[in-house]
Amino acid sequence: MEFPKITRRTFLKVSAGTTAAAATAPRLLHAMENELGGKDFDPVNAAERKAIPINCHVCNIQDGAIAYVENDRVVKLEGNPEHVSTRGRLCAKGNSGMWYSYDPDRILYPLRRVGARGEGKWKRITWDEALAEVAEKLDAALKEDPNTIMMKYGRNRTGGTLDRFMQTLGSATVVNHTSVCESSKKVGMEPTWGPDIETPDFANAKYVLNFGSNVLEAAYFHNPLSQRVTEGRIDNQMKIVTFDVRLSNTAGFSDEWIPVFPATDGAVALAIGHVILREDLQDSDFINTWTNVTVDELKAHYAQYTPEWASKISGVPVETIERIAREFATTKPATLFTYRGPAKHLYGSYNEKACMMLPIMTGNVEKRGGYCLPRGMGWPQPEPQPGKPAKASYLSRPPDYPLAAHKVSHLVPFWIAEGKQKINVYFTYQDNAVYTNPGSTAVWGKLYKDEKLIPFLVSMSPFMGEETALADLILPDCPYLERWEPESMPNSLWPWLGIRQPVHKSLGESRENRVLLRDIIWKLDPDGSRGMKKFWDFKDGEDYMRHHFDNVPGLKEAGGLDFLKKHGVWPIYGKLDPRTGKVTDKTGREIQAEYGLFRKELSVADMEGTVVDAHGLINKNGKAIGIRRNGKNYVGFPTGNRLINVRVDEWAEYGFNPMPTFKRIPWHEAMQDDEMILSTFKLNVHKQSRTAAVKWLAEIAHSNPAWMNPETAKKLGVKTGDLVRIESAVGYLVTKAYVTEGIHPKVVSIPTGFGHWEYGRLATLRLKDRKGDASHGADDPDLDNVWWDDKGVHPNNIIPVVADPIGGSQGWFDTVVKVTKAGPNDKYGDTQGDWDKHVAAFKETMRYAYTGDLHRKMHPEMASWGGPESVKGKAPGGH
Amino acid sequence: MLKTMFALDEEPHPSAPPQPMQSPEQLRSECVARTGVYRLLSAAFIEEPGREFLAALRQPDALASLAEAGLAFDDDFAASDLDALVDRLSCEYTTLFAASGGFPPVESVRLTGRYKQEPHFQVGQIYARCGFVLGRGRFEIFPDQLGAELMFVAELLERSVQALDAAETAEFARLEREIKRFWTLHLGRWVRGYGRLLERAAEHSFYREMGRFLSGFADEEIAAMRLRIEDLDQARVVVPKREIRVEFNPDEPVCNGCGPDPGAEAGTRPVATVHPLHDLR
Repeated sequence: MEFPKITRRTFLKVSAGTTAAAATAPRLLHAMENELGGKDFDPVNAAERKAIPINCHVCNIQDGAIAYVENDRVVKLEGNPEHVSTRGRLCAKGNSGMWYSYDPDRILYPLRRVGARGEGKWKRITWDEALAEVAEKLDAALKEDPNTIMMKYGRNRTGGTLDRFMQTLGSATVVNHTSVCESSKKVGMEPTWGPDIETPDFANAKYVLNFGSNVLEAAYFHNPLSQRVTEGRIDNQMKIVTFDVRLSNTAGFSDEWIPVFPATDGAVALAIGHVILREDLQDSDFINTWTNVTVDELKAHYAQYTPEWASKISGVPVETIERIAREFATTKPATLFTYRGPAKHLYGSYNEKACMMLPIMTGNVEKRGGYCLPRGMGWPQPEPQPGKPAKASYLSRPPDYPLAAHKVSHLVPFWIAEGKQKINVYFTYQDNAVYTNPGSTAVWGKLYKDEKLIPFLVSMSPFMGEETALADLILPDCPYLERWEPESMPNSLWPWLGIRQPVHKSLGESRENRVLLRDIIWKLDPDGSRGMKKFWDFKDGEDYMRHHFDNVPGLKEAGGLDFLKKHGVWPIYGKLDPRTGKVTDKTGREIQAEYGLFRKELSVADMEGTVVDAHGLINKNGKAIGIRRNGKNYVGFPTGNRLINVRVDEWAEYGFNPMPTFKRIPWHEAMQDDEMILSTFKLNVHKQSRTAAVKWLAEIAHSNPAWMNPETAKKLGVKTGDLVRIESAVGYLVTKAYVTEGIHPKVVSIPTGFGHWEYGRLATLRLKDRKGDASHGADDPDLDNVWWDDKGVHPNNIIPVVADPIGGSQGWFDTVVKVTKAGPNDKYGDTQGDWDKHVAAFKETMRYAYTGDLHRKMHPEMASWGGPESVKGKAPGGH
Repeated sequence: MLKTMFALDEEPHPSAPPQPMQSPEQLRSECVARTGVYRLLSAAFIEEPGREFLAALRQPDALASLAEAGLAFDDDFAASDLDALVDRLSCEYTTLFAASGGFPPVESVRLTGRYKQEPHFQVGQIYARCGFVLGRGRFEIFPDQLGAELMFVAELLERSVQALDAAETAEFARLEREIKRFWTLHLGRWVRGYGRLLERAAEHSFYREMGRFLSGFADEEIAAMRLRIEDLDQARVVVPKREIRVEFNPDEPVCNGCGPDPGAEAGTRPVATVHPLHDLR
């Protein structure tokens, strides 16, 4: 029997007719990457690995992660699919986190210095000896003045433990790192609308203005927000316009990269605002209802900021400013994002304010696809709690910077050197100011080496670093995979609580910070008679977490800490859809964020016992709880008047312009033709100071040549790879050039995170392997596979301090330099900073403080201000 | 391969001299002597050497026997004040073994570049299987720390002595195999090179000589046990990276270069365009 010839077409017809039947056929094969999320298996015996959810802490984005553990050893890290913000993704840094645990240069025992500071000679001592020594020093300091005990921290995610420790001792001398980070962004925003950061709804936006953020690589919040930027771009055809001096990966991903002259983003933003108001493209209803100015006031104020004025300053063409203003105002929804670009300048707070005005005046605030308030969650502290210290600390709240609510840490060495405050015991935690701060070793290195200024320096650190190397005593803290810590970070539009929990036993004798601080207090107050021990009545880190989490409403019912131990995060909003990468409900639809938080109406119960004043402010028990608008009672914004303060009256009290403004940096105006501005940036695989020893990351990026434009390079006669000498007013360095069109011609830019001289064998490419010296250490198994011999050059020695007189932030991108071809005596890696010259820079920047002689000159518009005397005795402000 | 993995007795190496049969007394005294050496080395590395240990080591008899073994301490060891020596060696120990930039005497670090890797767990399992648990001295240490590994062999040797005393030859043979296996899988893979590194890098003559002693003793033990173990720590030939040369001309086309040129005349040999890579080691 012969079958009729069956063509392919015939077969395909079968398919069409049997669609329903095919749909019911079993599907047993799934893509591995989709199926295995949240699980991992040993490739040899196929046994399922123990999965422990945590919050990553290689950098500070706080991605949800899972540590896969075999035999008490972390073998793999990946994203936690239950985490609403990061949705199962983890960046390269997060994937490499286990290197911290097993780093051969890790400090596993208390070490006491035996040589001169920084000489590198140590003696291992027991915890008992170490604690006794610390307690003895603290005891003596307490007798003199509790404020002589100082705590300076870098990345503090202890959830309040460090403050508890210092309050237990009665010291107010707590200094953070925020002024070298983002403080002027915070201070630019907080008095205006309450929180210190924005959450742009990139996924649903149609238009984004990005001022100086490199969110696809490094900025807050890299992983969660870059996912949303990609979604907005792909799913929503969102347009991105990036203003940056450098063609970052984010600028490269944008529709337009507009290279702007450094420190002039604020002027461009004001000019965009000018065009919006001039052409009546603003959201008048929003401005009149929700801000403390009227449209007319705003129009009158912005009239001065013409595109012609901004173009002259920034180099951005008038027509570009006008076009972008129209696009931004007429494309809805639109959002804006900034990070350090605008804020890290002498008047960074003004720049930040100028930028955030654009979504405000166009009414894009708290809308789907717009510029949203951050969402976070809090947790209670264990009881009882110590009270606040009796005396204020100069270093913690410097009187010359009353609006700098996040402190001015980078000026602290100069104030200590000036004798503004005496220090007896100095604790440092997860910090490395000798490397990360302006002046670097020339400033902080000099401070720490001076035993008269810092008589006893204790570093709580798992690793040697440029700062820890100068300590008198090192207390071995645990890396993040061995600690308990509470977490919440506004890194998406869905608020969450999370934890870090130890995924394996601590190595050696390292102790997590809250435990070692407890042990210090217990040593100091063994029987509780000094009234300190009662604040440290917990068994271990887990016990401490129970105090935080077991009584949070909602979480308590879900299981409290036990829920977090199992899931790592709470709440679980939905299930991660492996096809879309989005968190979805039972029907497969993406969980929607809540918008319009300020428009939430107060309930009848909320309104009971309230008093509404003439401005509509709703007060209850002496506290503003909302605002009445158009007859409705809203919760409003978390500011004192529950409105957006376009005009910040407190700034005016100190002679600062309360309205959006821009100040040109005087020394930029005076630049010569052969001068440039030095900027720095981060690469996607490194953070500030603690990734250079992570092998996988160091292999990807280990050197940091200076970016310069071909136009500049041609003038200097320099090509890629040539040595150049970069000289500022405070020092010089010699590095390699990288010639690229992706940088403004007046800018030379160096990535940070490289050029370590301490911090382990991979970061320094040095290892003790012969008598009396250290060398490349080629015999070491860890270095045997290191094929590179260039560790980069660290630029901070040549960057002088600059302090924003409002926000207190360091002006990282304000340094004027001369770049020349390296001379015959210049060697790659040479770097030198001069203390006296740094002191001169410190004195110069103090002239811009509200108490300084240049303050009035910089603010002619504030001629009616009564001077510093007019606010004498007023308590420092800030958020 | 299997013999090496499981430390099975091998046929004598052709070049190795035949081993004379030893009497139980000879075996016993050799085990006792070896135990002493292992304990001595373990004490030098497991933590900072204590006052009593150093005092005993500086006794004339002890110094003489160490000198006989070729150990030549400088005055910084033999002639210094004992308390000062304890303190000095404590600092030297920290610099070499417990502070950043040093070289921790830990097998995981030496062979994988990280703490707490496979050797850590393998050694811990061996201790447990043999009925040992690692206690805490002045400090907590890893199971694959050099002092602990040496101490383990010393303990096995003491058991060997007990087996000999009890005429339990099977048990003695089992313990001997256990020691060989441990050397093959652990100590032998790293301590020889490590000893040489220590000899080179130590500032103080105590650790310099102990490094020398360690590598020399390890060589002898391995030879005496007739084991063949590659020293993965330092005996590897490391080709300096910049001296690696690739022996082919990168400008030469490679694609389609291996077959005969279709246009070439029959019988003409094609020009060789592929050059083999040679292992320069």
